Order: sequence, then C-alpha cells, then structure tokens
Amino acid sequence: MAVSQLSIVFFTLAIGCTALGFGFMALLQLSLPSLSVLLPLFVASAISAALFLSAFAVSQNTPVPKWRPKNSPVHLLVVLGSGGHTAEMFSLLRRMELNTSRYIYRTYIVSSGDNFSATKAVEFESTLGAEPESYAIITVPRARRVHQSYLTAPFTTTFSFWSCLLALCGRHPDQQQHKRPEQLPSPYPDLILTNGPATAVCVILAARLLRLVAWFLSFLFPARIHPPTISAGGLAPPEEEFRLRTIFVESWARVRTLSLSGKILLPFADRFLVQWPALEGKRAWWGMRKAEYIAGLVD
Amino acid sequence: MSEEARKLCFVTVGATASFHLLLKSILNPIFLEALNQRGYTDLLIQYGKDGEQLFDEFSAKYPPGDPNRHGIIVHGFDFNPAGLDNEIRLAKAKPSENRSSGLVISHAGSGSILSALRFGVPLVVVPNPTLQDNHQAELAEVLQDEGYAIWSDHREVSAALERAEALRTKMLTWPPVHGMRELQPQNLEGVVSEEMGYLD
Repeated sequence: MAVSQLSIVFFTLAIGCTALGFGFMALLQLSLPSLSVLLPLFVASAISAALFLSAFAVSQNTPVPKWRPKNSPVHLLVVLGSGGHTAEMFSLLRRMELNTSRYIYRTYIVSSGDNFSATKAVEFESTLGAEPESYAIITVPRARRVHQSYLTAPFTTTFSFWSCLLALCGRHPDQQQHKRPEQLPSPYPDLILTNGPATAVCVILAARLLRLVAWFLSFLFPARIHPPTISAGGLAPPEEEFRLRTIFVESWARVRTLSLSGKILLPFADRFLVQWPALEGKRAWWGMRKAEYIAGLVD
Repeated sequence: MSEEARKLCFVTVGATASFHLLLKSILNPIFLEALNQRGYTDLLIQYGKDGEQLFDEFSAKYPPGDPNRHGIIVHGFDFNPAGLDNEIRLAKAKPSENRSSGLVISHAGSGSILSALRFGVPLVVVPNPTLQDNHQAELAEVLQDEGYAIWSDHREVSAALERAEALRTKMLTWPPVHGMRELQPQNLEGVVSEEMGYLD
C-alpha cells in the first residue's frame, strides 16, 4: 500500500517533469538535441522532490526531546467539529481527566453556526470548575457549508484558513477580550488536539505552515528566532520549535477505513491515533510515522 | 391498574439525516405485536426533522386504543438539542420506578451508541443504507462481533428483538476492560506528555 503510494508519487513527478520539459521544448521550438540540456533539469527536480519527501519523513519521525519540567503550564487548543465529533472530543477529554493546573489555558475553535459545540464547551468547562478567564472560545467561518457550491468553496476555505492562522497566532478578534495567563508568554498554543472534520484540517495545516515558516526564518535570522537564553529552570531550548504540536484522533466510528480528514491529515499530524486495531499502522507513504492504536480513548 | 413493570423500547434516527426506512418498520403493527410478545409496554420514537409526517400518519391510521397497537403506548418527538441521555435512561431498569430493562434501537450514530453502552442498555444498531460512504455498517459489525450490540437490517427489527433478549443476559460492560494491551503505557495523557517533551 505505502510502497505503491510512493511509486505513484514518483511516477507522477517523473511524468510531470517530463511533460513540462517537452512542453517547454515545443514552446521554444527547440530541437531534440536540447533534450540533453533539459534532462539534467528534470533529474534535478525529481531528486529534490525525493529529498523533500525524505526530509519530511525524517522530521515526522523525530521525537520531541525531553526538555520541559513536569507540570509546566500548557496552552491546549481543541478543535471542535460538530455533533458526534464534538461529543466524542469531550468524551476523550473526560477520560483524559484534564488537569486545569497543568493545562492552565484552553482555547476551543468552533465553526460558525455550531452553537451545540460552543454550548458543550462551556458546559465542560463548568464541570472542570474553571474560571471563565482560563479558556477562550473562538468562532471561525466554515470551510464549506452543506450544499454550498464547489465554485465558491475555495474562497470560503481560504477565508476559513486565514481565520485559523490568526487564531493560532493569538490574533483572532475573539481572543482580544481577555488576556492569556502570564505563565504563557507565547501566543502559540503548545498542543492542538482534534478529531475532525473540515476545520480540523485547516487548523492542522495552518500549524504546519507556521512551523515551516519558523523553520525557514531560523535559517535566515538564527539569532532573532532562537535567543540563547538560560531560564530559571535551567533548560531553554528553542521553544518555538516545539510549539504547535498536533494530535489527530480518528473517530471511534471508523473501524476499518479512515475518514476523509484522516486521510488528508495522516502525513501532517504529529501523532495520529486510531481507536480500532484494524487501522493500526496505517501511514501516508513509506517511511512515514504510523497510526497508533490506543484502546479505550472514549467512554 | 396493573402492577406490571414498564418496559420501554426507545428508537432514535438521529438529528441530521432522515431514516424513513427504519421508521416505517417501527411504525408497523407487526413490530408492535413483536414488542407486545416480548413484554414491552412503551415505544418512544425520536423521529428526526422530517419524520413527523410518518408519525402523524401512523397516529391517524391507528389511534390510541386501536387493536393494531397491541396495547403498546407510543410516543414520539423530533429531536432533543440537549442530547438523548434522558430518553436512553428510561430504557434502563429502575425497580424504584417500576421499570424493567428495555431496549435502544439506534441509527448507527456514535453518540447514541456510546450513550446506550455507557448506561448498559441493550442496543440494536441499524445502519442507514441511504447514507453515502457508509462506514456505520463496519462499526455495527464489530460491535456485534465483540458482544456489545446487535447489528440489524432495518427490515428485520422485529427479529432483532428476539436477539436483543439473548444479548441482555450476557452483555459486556462498557468501557472495555483491556488486559495485556494495558502493559503499553499508552493513553492520551501519555501521548500528550511525549509531545510536550516532559522530563520523566
């Protein structure tokens, strides 16, 4: 399965590069001898694509180094899907026995018009005995409404994605009402937990994009992004690198096949948890991290 | 007044999609007769947004007291925005209120399934064949294989009542108790700790 997917990727790349090359040749009315000029270009692009894929696999398989003292505060971001997804998420959080002295600040992302999820979030927070200042509920526009035309869907999806980006950077309008606790100086959430569907895809892809940008910036301005600080705790790694970790939990209702959001997020989520053994070990392509089966996540 | 215990069958079709095929099998003298034979006294139906018409047609055709109702008291409602926990609880045995253990028949939505399992009420799962991308049948199948529920076709709910009686006597408790697998330290908290980079 994985090997076939990988070969499809390479095959598509090779075909694409060759087609592109011949297109150029036709366009420039080049003769066949100039193939010898363009061929190295095709090969180079194929190799760079392969390198990119393997770098992706390596980064996905690198575990987070142990650096954070136990019980240091965490900013948790939860993406609430709708109906059954939301109910399952709160079942997960109940089972996890979310400790408000560790997860001192929670952000919930709900889609516009999903009052059920927002109500459930307030209800859940009240069972924790949490103060209203210790959590925020953010509304982002829907990527695509039911029955919305596929013509306009790309625009609404872009709008939704932008809103998710703002939320991850702490600059969403809904976040301006109250301040984060002082123990959490960074606007970026430490951990993103979700179980789908559409908005979850936007949030996880936005988190990966932000991390990619931070990684590029760290090359360009090493001193600015990673100030060599020694904190009171002794350990001060480049914190930005480890923020925005993503955990995707596939729905309990998925026994033998992944959901669409699951299929999309399989290569992008840092941890991909499944709730039935038949899904254990699924991965996006060869070399990538496998889905982990964990029993009893929901009750 | 008889002192006979109430025994309730609760049917839910969910809030999002309609499931007329199941409603037609339920709102049917054959099914009501089967309920009567198994000692049920009440039938409660959550018929969804567009199931009201079917329910009203049934009520007009067989008004209360009609012999075709076989003595079953039938109630219905469209949906409950607060969830169905209260309705599912009505199907749980409660001697102080003279209720014996009933049954939940669910369209295979995970919310109502988990809720019925949590309350320990016998459960019949009927996947909706009209839905696209029907992964619900997979869930129904695995739950039946593992002994948590009965998987039934919407045309065979009367026969499923018999099978549900067998399930009642040997039902497993929820959530599952895992033996060897628990040696792996993994739970959600563990995964989170790894991702946070906590020192041991």
